[in-house]
Amino acid sequence: MFEKVDLGELLVTRTNKKIYRNKNLLIKVFDHEKVGKSTVLFEALNQSYVEKVGLNIPKMIAIFPYGEDWAIASEFIEGETLQEKMEKDPSNYKKYLELLVKLQLEVLSKRTMELPKLKDKLNAKISFLGKEESLVNLEATTRYDLHMRLESMPDHNKLCHGDFNPSNIVCTKDNKYYILDWAHACRGNASADASSTYLNFILNHNQKYADEYLKLFCKKADIAIQYVQRWICVVSATLLNSVHTEEQRELLLRNINVVESM
Amino acid sequence: MIEQQKVSTPEELDELLKKVRQAQKIFATFSQEQVDKIFYHAALKANEMRIPLAQEAVKETGMGVIEDKVIKNHYAAEFVYNKYKDTPTVGVIEENKDLGYQRIAEPLGVVAAIIPTTNPTSTAIFKTLMCLKTRNGCIISPHPRAKNSTIHAAQIVLQAAIEAGAPENLIGWITDPSMVLSSTIMKEADCILATGGPGMVTAAYSSGKPAIGVGPGNTPAIFDKTCDIKLAVYSVIQSKTFDNGMICASEQSVIVDKEIYNEVKQEFLYRGCYFLKGEELDKVRKTVIINGSVNAKIVGQSAYTIAKLSGVEVPEETKILIGEVKDCSPFEEFAHEKLSPVLAMYKAEDFEDALNKADELVHHGGYGHTSAIYLNEVTEQEKLNKFALRMKTCRILVNSPAAQGGIGDIYNFMLAPSLTLGCGSWGGNSVSENVGVKQLLNVKTVAVRRENMLWFRVPEKLFFKPGCLKDALTELKEVYNKKRVFIVTDKFLYESGFTKKVTSVLDALNIEHTVYSDVAPDPTLACAKEGANLMLSFKPDSIIAIGGGSPMDAAKIMWVLYEHPEVNFKDMALDFMDIRKRIYRFPKMGSKANLVCIPTTAGTGSEVTPFAIITDETNGLKYPLADYELLPNMAIVDSDLMLNIPKGLTKASGIDAIVHSFEAIASIMASPFTDGMAYEALHLLFENLPIAYKEGAANPKARENMAHAATIAGLAFANAFLGIAHSLGHKLGAYHHIPHGIAVGMMLIPVMKFNASEQPTKMGTFSQYDHPICLSKYARVAEYLGCTGKDDQAKFNNLLKKIVQVQEAVEMPMTIQEYGVKEEDFLKTLDEMTVEAFNDQCTGCNPRYPLIEEMKQLYLEAYYGKNYKAKK
Repeated sequence: MFEKVDLGELLVTRTNKKIYRNKNLLIKVFDHEKVGKSTVLFEALNQSYVEKVGLNIPKMIAIFPYGEDWAIASEFIEGETLQEKMEKDPSNYKKYLELLVKLQLEVLSKRTMELPKLKDKLNAKISFLGKEESLVNLEATTRYDLHMRLESMPDHNKLCHGDFNPSNIVCTKDNKYYILDWAHACRGNASADASSTYLNFILNHNQKYADEYLKLFCKKADIAIQYVQRWICVVSATLLNSVHTEEQRELLLRNINVVESM
Repeated sequence: MIEQQKVSTPEELDELLKKVRQAQKIFATFSQEQVDKIFYHAALKANEMRIPLAQEAVKETGMGVIEDKVIKNHYAAEFVYNKYKDTPTVGVIEENKDLGYQRIAEPLGVVAAIIPTTNPTSTAIFKTLMCLKTRNGCIISPHPRAKNSTIHAAQIVLQAAIEAGAPENLIGWITDPSMVLSSTIMKEADCILATGGPGMVTAAYSSGKPAIGVGPGNTPAIFDKTCDIKLAVYSVIQSKTFDNGMICASEQSVIVDKEIYNEVKQEFLYRGCYFLKGEELDKVRKTVIINGSVNAKIVGQSAYTIAKLSGVEVPEETKILIGEVKDCSPFEEFAHEKLSPVLAMYKAEDFEDALNKADELVHHGGYGHTSAIYLNEVTEQEKLNKFALRMKTCRILVNSPAAQGGIGDIYNFMLAPSLTLGCGSWGGNSVSENVGVKQLLNVKTVAVRRENMLWFRVPEKLFFKPGCLKDALTELKEVYNKKRVFIVTDKFLYESGFTKKVTSVLDALNIEHTVYSDVAPDPTLACAKEGANLMLSFKPDSIIAIGGGSPMDAAKIMWVLYEHPEVNFKDMALDFMDIRKRIYRFPKMGSKANLVCIPTTAGTGSEVTPFAIITDETNGLKYPLADYELLPNMAIVDSDLMLNIPKGLTKASGIDAIVHSFEAIASIMASPFTDGMAYEALHLLFENLPIAYKEGAANPKARENMAHAATIAGLAFANAFLGIAHSLGHKLGAYHHIPHGIAVGMMLIPVMKFNASEQPTKMGTFSQYDHPICLSKYARVAEYLGCTGKDDQAKFNNLLKKIVQVQEAVEMPMTIQEYGVKEEDFLKTLDEMTVEAFNDQCTGCNPRYPLIEEMKQLYLEAYYGKNYKAKK
C-alpha cells in the first residue's frame, strides 16, 4: 500500500543498510536480509526514548516499509563533524577533545529507565564470542573472566550513546552541536561509555588523542582512571565483531588477555 | 580417588548441593573429638600430597614455581592445623558460670569456596580444612584455568575426611565452572568464602548471601635510612620471587630514602636483580600492564621470561626486574599490582615524602591490604607509629618479607595463618583480619539472668545525739586539721543566732571562718555562684552547711563550683537510667574542701544524701543533681538545734521523711540494707511525729527521735532512691506553690495504692526486681507498725488507715482541693504537670512503671480524694 518514496541521494552504503539524503531528511534503509523488522522498530523505539531526554539530536520523522526493507527517516543536520574540524585544525586538538568530553558528560548526566541495559548487551556480546557465527572466538576461560569482571561493575542508569566519537558530532552553521547515530544507545555506566570512546581513538591509531581524551574525561567527570580502565578489557571484547581489520582485532585481543589484581 | 558426578548445569549443581547439605546435617551432630580427628587426618593427607599438588597446579596454570607452591600447600595444611588443632569449635566453646554466660559454636551450613588461579591447591586445602574444623559443608567453585588441580586438592581432603569418619559428599565441587554456576552457588550457599580478583569478590558480596571476601593488594615497602639494608633487600627478594610474585601481599614498590638509595640499588644488583635501563623500562611497562590491568601472559612468570616477552635481554637467573620510576599515580604502569617479579623503585626525599608515596600507592591500588616498612624499630618508634597511623591497610609489616609476613605465623606470630586476607571496608570487605575458623561459625551466647552489684554509701562520719555539735566540730581541728571554714546558711537562722553555735566552737578552736547567709528557699544558681565566688577568694578547706534542705543543697552546689568552676550544669543534670552507666562523668570532689552538713529540720535527709536541686533563675529550669561525689563528708545531727521548729515545718518535714521511707521501701533499687533503715525510720516517725507536732520543744525526746528518723530515712533513700510520689510531688509543688513535704504527702496514698497492684500495667525494669512485690513489702511495714489483717491486702488497708491517722494528727490537708488549689487552675496545668512528672528522675525507680495517663489519674485522685472515681 506504500508507494516507494523518493529516497533522494545515496550518501553511503554499509554492510546492513544504505543511507540517503532527501532535502531535510536522512533516510536509513535497512537490508531486510540482515536486519529484521523488529530490530529496526526497536532501534526506532530507542531513538524515540532518547529524544525525550532533551538533548540536541536529530528528530525521527517516520518509519516506513520500503519494499521488503524497513526505513527510518530523521532530520538531516547540515554541518561539519567534529572529526572534520579536528582534521582541519589538528593543532587545536585539545580544545576539540574538551568539547567532546563536555558533550559526552551532558549525555551521561541524563538518566533513563527505558533503554536496554548496557550490561545485558555486553554480556550477550561476550557470550556470542563463544558461538560459531562469531567472527572471532574466545575460549571459555577467557569468557568466564570477562563475564566475572563485567558482573562486578557497578550498574547505573546513565544515558550512554554507545559510539560516542567525533564523527558523530555535527556543528551547524549557527554553531549548534548535534549528536548523531543513537543506534547503540542504552543505559549504564559512564566509564563503559568513556572506554568505548577511548577505544575508538585507539582503533583509529590515535594513541595521543586517546590518552588525552581519557585524562580529560576522568578529570571532568571526577572518575578515577582505574575505573575507566577496568572497562577497557570488557568493552574491547564486545567490539571484536564490529571492527573490520585483522590489525584492529589484534589490538583488541591484546586488551582482553589480562587478569584482575588480587 | 573419590569421584563426583559432573556438575556443569544449574540442575546438576542443585543435585550436588542437596547431597552436601544432607552430609552437613549429619556432620553438624559430630562431637569435637570426631571433628578433630577428621581435621587431623585431612590435614595430614593434604600435607602428604603437597608435592604432586604443586606440580599439577604449575602444570595446569602455567604460573608460579613448583617448589614455592609446595611451601604454600605445606603451610595451608600444617600451619593451619597447628593454629586451630586445639581451638574449640563444637558446642560450648566458652563458659563462665560466675558471669552467667555460655558461648556455643554452630556451623554455618554449606560454604561456597571460590578458589583463585594463583593459589589453586593451597587455597583449596585451606578452605576445606577450615570447613571441616567448623562442621560446615563445602562446595568448591574453581577457576576454569585451574580446575583440575583445585578439584584434586579437594578430593584428597574429602577422601581423608571420609576415612576418618566424615559423612560422604561433605565436600563437593563444580566440574565445569561457568559464570552461571558461580552465581548460582553464591546464591544458594549459606556463606561465601571468596578469594580472587575484585570481580569475584564483588559478585560474592552482591549475591545476597553473607560473604567473606578479600581485595587486591598493592603493597608498598618503605626503606627508611635507618633500615638494615641487607635484610631489607633480601626480604623483598625473598617475597617478590616467591611463587614468582603471585602472593597478593607481596611488595609492588619499594620507596627508598635518598640517603641510602645508591647503596640499596647496589645491594639489589649484587643479589641478582636487574635495573631496567632507558627503553627497556618502557618495553616492560607496556608488556606488564595493559590499560591498567595485568597482562595475563606475565602473571607468575620468572623475571627472565617477562623480560623476554618484553623484548629485553637479561641474565636467565635474574631475580627481579626493577623499574626506577617517579610517578605513584595509576598513569604509571609500575605503580600497579604486577603479580610477578617486577618491582617499582622510588626515591624519597625524606620520611614524610616516603609516607606520601606509600599512601598514594595504597590508595590507588591496594586499599585495605598490606604495607611494609624497614627501619630500626628500636630507635625509630616514632616513624613506625606515624607509618602505622597513616597506612589504610589491615596488615602493617615491619622488617619482614610482605608475602610471607602477610599470611601470618612465619615471620610474626600474632597474624593468624591464612590464605584469605581481609581488607576491611577499604577493600570492600566485611573482615579486616586474616580469615580463620571464627568467621565460619555461628556463635550463640547464652546469657543467664544476673543481678547488679548494689551498694550502701553513707557519709564518712555521722554524729548524732542532742548536744553533739561541739564535740563533732572539734574533729575539724583535731582529726582533719582544718583551718578555714566557710559557713552556708539562710537569713533566718543567721539572724536567730544558729550560726553562732557553730562559730563560737570554731573560734575556740582557732579556725578562721566566714558566713554566707543569703540562701533563699529553692536556691538559685545565682546564689550558688555568689557563694562559690566568695569561696574562691576565701579559700576554705571546709564548708559547713547549717539549715534545712535549701542551705544544704546550695552548699553542695557551691562546693561543686568552688572545686570545679568549669562544670556545665546541663550535662550534670542529665537524666540517667542507671547511675553507674550514666554518660556524664561527675568531677571528683574534695580536693579543696570537705563538706559538713548540720540539719536544723527533721525531714530532708540532705545531710546524708548525694542529691541536690538548684534552679536556674534565668529560665526557671531546675537541675536535679545526683552523684555520690555530692555526698557530704560529715553529718552532725543534733536535735537540740531543732527544739523550736515551727509547727508547719515540723509537719511538712516530718511527712517528707515518711514519704522518703515508703518510697525507699517500694523502690526497685531497695535492698535489705535500705529496708531495715526505712522500717526503723517509719517506726520512729509514726510514733513521734504527732507528739513532736503537738508538744514541740516541750518534748525533746520526740524531737530527738524525729531528727534521727529523718536522717535514717535519708540513708535509705540515698541508696534505694525514690519513686513517683516524689515525681508527682515535685511538679505539683512547683506548679502550685505547695511546700515540698505537703506536696509529696498528698500524693503518698494514691501512689501507694497504685504501687500495691499485683497486676500492674507495666513493672519497673531492674534485674533484681523480678515480680511485683510492693503489696507484700507494704504488708511487712504494716506488721512492723502493728497493723494486722487476715492477708497482705487487709494489712495494707490498715496501714493506709494508720497513715491517714498520722496525717490527721498533724492537720495535713487530705486532698489538693482541701489544700486550696482552685479546680480551674489545677485542671489547666494538669496535662503539662503530668508529662513533667513522668519525666522526673524519680520515676525510673518506681516499682510500677507508670503510663502518663495513669499518672494523670493519680493527680486527679489526689485532688478530689475519695470522691474521685478513677477511670478504668
